[in-house]
Amino acid sequence: MGNDTELVTPGEKLGRASEFKAGRGAYVSPDNLTVYASLTGLRHIVSPPPDSPDQRPIVEVTGHKAHGAIPEPGSIVIARVTKVMARMASADIMCLGTKSVRENFTGIIRLQDIRATEIDKVDMHKSFHPGDIVRAIVLSLGDARAYFLSTAKNELGVISAQSAAGVPMVAISWTEMQCPITGQIEHRKVAKVGG
Amino acid sequence: MAGATPTTYSPSPTTRKTKSLIFRNDDVDWVRTDGRDFHQCRPAFFKIGAVNAAAGSAYAEFGNTKVIVSVFGPRESKKAMLYSDIGRLNCNVSYTTFATPVRGQGSDHKEFSSMLHKALEGAIILETFPKTTVDVFALVLESGGSDLPVVISCASLALADAGIMMYDLVASVSVSCLGKNLVIDPVLEEESYQDGSLMLTCMPSRYEVTQLTITGEWSTPKLNEGMQICLDACAKLATIMRECLKGPDSALEE
Repeated sequence: MGNDTELVTPGEKLGRASEFKAGRGAYVSPDNLTVYASLTGLRHIVSPPPDSPDQRPIVEVTGHKAHGAIPEPGSIVIARVTKVMARMASADIMCLGTKSVRENFTGIIRLQDIRATEIDKVDMHKSFHPGDIVRAIVLSLGDARAYFLSTAKNELGVISAQSAAGVPMVAISWTEMQCPITGQIEHRKVAKVGG
Repeated sequence: MAGATPTTYSPSPTTRKTKSLIFRNDDVDWVRTDGRDFHQCRPAFFKIGAVNAAAGSAYAEFGNTKVIVSVFGPRESKKAMLYSDIGRLNCNVSYTTFATPVRGQGSDHKEFSSMLHKALEGAIILETFPKTTVDVFALVLESGGSDLPVVISCASLALADAGIMMYDLVASVSVSCLGKNLVIDPVLEEESYQDGSLMLTCMPSRYEVTQLTITGEWSTPKLNEGMQICLDACAKLATIMRECLKGPDSALEE
């Protein structure tokens, strides 16, 4: 739509609020008159989805580096379990979706959030061990310390774990993984990977 | 010493600070040490991306005042912090040991740190990074006067470079009152002889002031004049800052 390559910086006017809706990297001033940029980048105009009642085109700022991703409720994360306690396990979030995080964030998986069924029979030590790589969903921003994570879905849980012998184990069921060298079976909350 | 020692103490008139020769007359006959007009700022130089390790950074040079600001985050808030729905801003201003003419301690500047925080927090959309903290570290490499305004402008550029959502860039300019005259963007010497100072920090395209600091004695017309020239200078400074953000240094990602 014409001036697609215009470079803008924070605070520059993108258009009038009566003509445009603010998308990513843009905001509407409190008096509801003007749309301003809040990031440095290229000014883009996107046409609204055909079924939306508001038919104003959306103006957004894209293309420039945004700040590092931060976890938000609903995002899928890859985390490494650092500490397993009786009622919860703490984990360092390493990836958000497909992107690795620039800074370290701490998450907590509580006992009741490990699996969806029979949550009264879950044993924390039979679900995670320190060093396990888990896929989890962010439940909420949590408390002052950590984000609350959940693995209560088939595709969530341990995706990679090492046995006592120090080799990656193979999943043999929803709750068990086996060491390919010693044949020892360990308990985990195994994630359904692929398929 | 003849006679009894005085029983009361009164400040002796000679300890009053004496103005150097060029500032002594309250008329407009003197010139500034660097030959500028009273309402002329020092040439400003900005560069973004000066620190590789930081999420965003900027370097600013106004005459002899040289500062470097790095921005980190958003990252996890310290464990001792309470939960908050909006993001936090943590600012720190420090001086190098060689920043001042007299070799200093190179310590943190608590007052400037909190003033930098106040100046910036109104311009950042804190709702976009809940529960996390953005750290702003400013280092004054050389103090040549108007340090805080330079730090503030440079910090807002570093925040923009880091991709932190902001309502607008923040530009800051100070004026010194020397006798009858208002001098903009004072150098160290002018600051040490000033009768009063005014520092204005604003978001130029929103035309909103985020911080106003006044010291010394000011009459209302003087104050108005001072604020007007500051606002005007901020708007011009912002255009330089925007040019820097749009310049060849800006890393456009595909």
